[in-house]
Amino acid sequence: MFAPPEAYLVLSAAVFCIGVFGLLTRKNALLFLMSVELMLNAANINLVAFSFYWGNVTGQTFSLFTMALAAAEVAIGIGIILVLYRNFKDIDVTEATTMRW
Amino acid sequence: MAGIFDFAPAIVLLPFLSFLIAVGTALSGRDLLPKGGAIPGIAATAGSLVLSIAMAATVAGGEVYDATIYTWAVGAVPGAEAPLELTFGVLVDPLSSMMLVIVTLVALLVHVFSLGYMNDDGQTGLPRYYAGLGLFTASMLGFVVADNLLMAFMFFELVGLCSYLLIGFHFREPGPPSAAKKAFLVTRFGDYFFLIGVVAVFATFGTAQFAGTEAAPGFPALAEQALNGEFAANTFLGLGTQAWFTVVGLLVLGGVVGKSAQFPLHTWLPDAMEGPTPVSALIHAATMVAAGVYLVARMYGFYAVSPTALGVIALVGGFTALFAGTMGLVKRELKQVLAYSTISQYGYMMLALGAGGYVAATFHLLTHAFFKALLFLGAGSVILAMHHNENMWDMGGLKDKMPVTYYSFLAGSLALAGIFPFAGFWSKDEILFETLIHGLDGAPLLLLGYVFGLLAVPVTAFYTFRMVFLTFHGEARTAEAEDPVPVRWNVKGPLAVLGVLAAGAGVVNLAPVKYLTGLEVDFLHSWLDGGFTNLTVHHYAEIDPYSSAYIGGEVTTVLLGAAVSLGLALLGLALAYRLYAVPEPVEHTDKLGAAKDLLYDNYYQDEYQVYLANRVVLPLARAADTFDQSVVDGTVNAVSSVSLFSGRRVRRIQTGVVSNYAALVTLGLTVLLVLFGVLGGWLL
Amino acid sequence: MSDDPNDGSRPRLKRDFNPVPGLAAVALFAVLALVFLQASFGEAQGFEQGASITASIGYAMFNIDAGAISGAVVSGEGFVVAFVLIAVALDVAIDGAVFLAKSEDEEGGIGAVLTDGGREIREKLRGGDD
Repeated sequence: MFAPPEAYLVLSAAVFCIGVFGLLTRKNALLFLMSVELMLNAANINLVAFSFYWGNVTGQTFSLFTMALAAAEVAIGIGIILVLYRNFKDIDVTEATTMRW
Repeated sequence: MAGIFDFAPAIVLLPFLSFLIAVGTALSGRDLLPKGGAIPGIAATAGSLVLSIAMAATVAGGEVYDATIYTWAVGAVPGAEAPLELTFGVLVDPLSSMMLVIVTLVALLVHVFSLGYMNDDGQTGLPRYYAGLGLFTASMLGFVVADNLLMAFMFFELVGLCSYLLIGFHFREPGPPSAAKKAFLVTRFGDYFFLIGVVAVFATFGTAQFAGTEAAPGFPALAEQALNGEFAANTFLGLGTQAWFTVVGLLVLGGVVGKSAQFPLHTWLPDAMEGPTPVSALIHAATMVAAGVYLVARMYGFYAVSPTALGVIALVGGFTALFAGTMGLVKRELKQVLAYSTISQYGYMMLALGAGGYVAATFHLLTHAFFKALLFLGAGSVILAMHHNENMWDMGGLKDKMPVTYYSFLAGSLALAGIFPFAGFWSKDEILFETLIHGLDGAPLLLLGYVFGLLAVPVTAFYTFRMVFLTFHGEARTAEAEDPVPVRWNVKGPLAVLGVLAAGAGVVNLAPVKYLTGLEVDFLHSWLDGGFTNLTVHHYAEIDPYSSAYIGGEVTTVLLGAAVSLGLALLGLALAYRLYAVPEPVEHTDKLGAAKDLLYDNYYQDEYQVYLANRVVLPLARAADTFDQSVVDGTVNAVSSVSLFSGRRVRRIQTGVVSNYAALVTLGLTVLLVLFGVLGGWLL
Repeated sequence: MSDDPNDGSRPRLKRDFNPVPGLAAVALFAVLALVFLQASFGEAQGFEQGASITASIGYAMFNIDAGAISGAVVSGEGFVVAFVLIAVALDVAIDGAVFLAKSEDEEGGIGAVLTDGGREIREKLRGGDD
């Protein structure tokens, strides 16, 4: 029923790296948000898996909180994207470079 | 017990309060206080005087006080169990309580005198003047009650600063600012050695307390124990204990020589006469210059165990006494004569200290404070009457027009010249007597100092009475002298008080009378024999390297010494009378020819010091500056240019593109993982 | 698949895809997987037979003492403080989102002035012309 912990870790690493991959290869801010969701949920996989591994519901409870935080993050993220669009007429993150040196 | 000693800090804080008030007034720029701010100063010094007298009365009852008020730094010392503490504390013992009374009394009188000298004369900038006086009084009192060497050093510097500020009071004229700078720099040169000495004392003993306690004795007591092998003092430079103590003592002596205007750092004091005359009386005669001598007396237990240091003190003092006296012979300005006589008299005190005459030095310090302050204030009165003309050749005949000034000035002069029975006779005689008896017992250095001191006696009497006769006797030589400006009570009052003291202060220690009659009349001796056991006269007498020898018995020696010095003083007086107490005196000193020029130009001391500064110090400073500009700054600039350059390149990483940052973070994480994995052995 | 812009209105994959930085993500995955597969774990403890996970999470989230509950319960820690904090965070997030998303047309909003990087003020002062 329960696969060896390595399998879950590799799965979560894969999900996380897919998120990172999206972050690195895309320019669209909305896709950024989605990628970040993937990365957060990779952490959730680990939390749930190790909750079972230790026989303790703390990890599961924590993953619920992570989801709530993800919701908050998306809310703010969408707001930021709106402002980004307003100021640069685009949601391409590579355009917004006015704060560099 | 909430005794009187709990109020000891108030002695220092009261004048400081008056300083703050005066500074506030000066900053406001308006005439907020009546009399230009003199009233708070007078009130504060009067309060301090009352407290000081109360302290002295309590000390007379056999109580002493040594308390740490504030510890402002504590640090562990490697290799020592007790931490090094830097503290402010109050030490009230017979010596300091006596000095407290002297300082507060003279300060009070000078404040009152300033009412006449500064206010009635319509001077401007009075709040600044009284601020300086207040700060000076506070710092001098702080110096007097200091219970450790570092605190003493700090207040020592503060009085130097006040001296600078007050000498340069008339800063719009050309002379005072340059005199102020000279005074500051010359004393600073000595204080530099003093500072090293303070550090050396801390390094050697781990404490700089003067008195200390049974458990933690002060450094003079530790020095004594170290020489007896009971305490392991740190020595440096590979010197033995005795030699190292001598070095430390001489380092501290540097500050003393600068502040008490001893040869060769005396050149600032005559120039300091550019300051207002009350300032000269307070700072450059009675108190600040006494700080050096007081410091030696304060830590006398440390010097007493070092015969070499004592010898140096005695020789410097004796030489200065004669040397400065000869320069005073030919001066034309009233205050210049007094300045050289001050240097000379402090030379006597140093001679006494070096000769083991602790009581004699303290006694002369006491009497000199009174009669020299009197002479300066009297000179101030004359100068005021003469519309600030200080040239004695423009005076004459003031005797009948200014009787109060004349008689008090005369009392001061008789005291200065050491004429029986005025105060100066007793103290100077005791100095010479102590030097003689200690010198006779196989200390030729002291005998040399005695000869210097003895030769200085007629010189002193001569220049003193040359000054008196030129100023007050004969015919008036100018219109100002014909019709001097009258002075008011606030000038006459302090003169009268000091005149009485100058005439009678000798009774506090009639040592010769004791030798002759056996009466216990050496009150100062028994006074200074009280208090902390390590700081008493008989303790000093036990540890100093001298013993006494007499010429044909004690009484004979006393009489012989007194007769010789009194005879020489009368000789000088008579010569001055013969030459200058005539209606139309002429400049007899012109007959000295080249010698007169030599004396008048102070043996070209200033010239050689300027030469040293220009030819030795300046090129050194230039070389150091070049080194600093090229090597030190060059290195610093090179380093900074490297970081500037690399910063300009590295900032290109900050593209502002989020994806690049993310890529860098990802790569960085990967690299770190690999690195830690390989190093930690859990990867590959 | 065609890049012809006149090719109707059907959705198209935007060509903003730049695969080169993605290699970093692949490398990270390789390292992570390598580490994980080398690690060795013991046997999992697992949950108690017949225990209700959902109920246990509920007890943990509200600090209900597991001893007071009949039946099998998986142990956990109390999370009521974290729960409240998350509630506050969500509230703040929704307020923040509304604040950021407010239309710029509502003149005078300090948020609008601040979030446009000062452009509006500059245009007002200099009269347009960026």
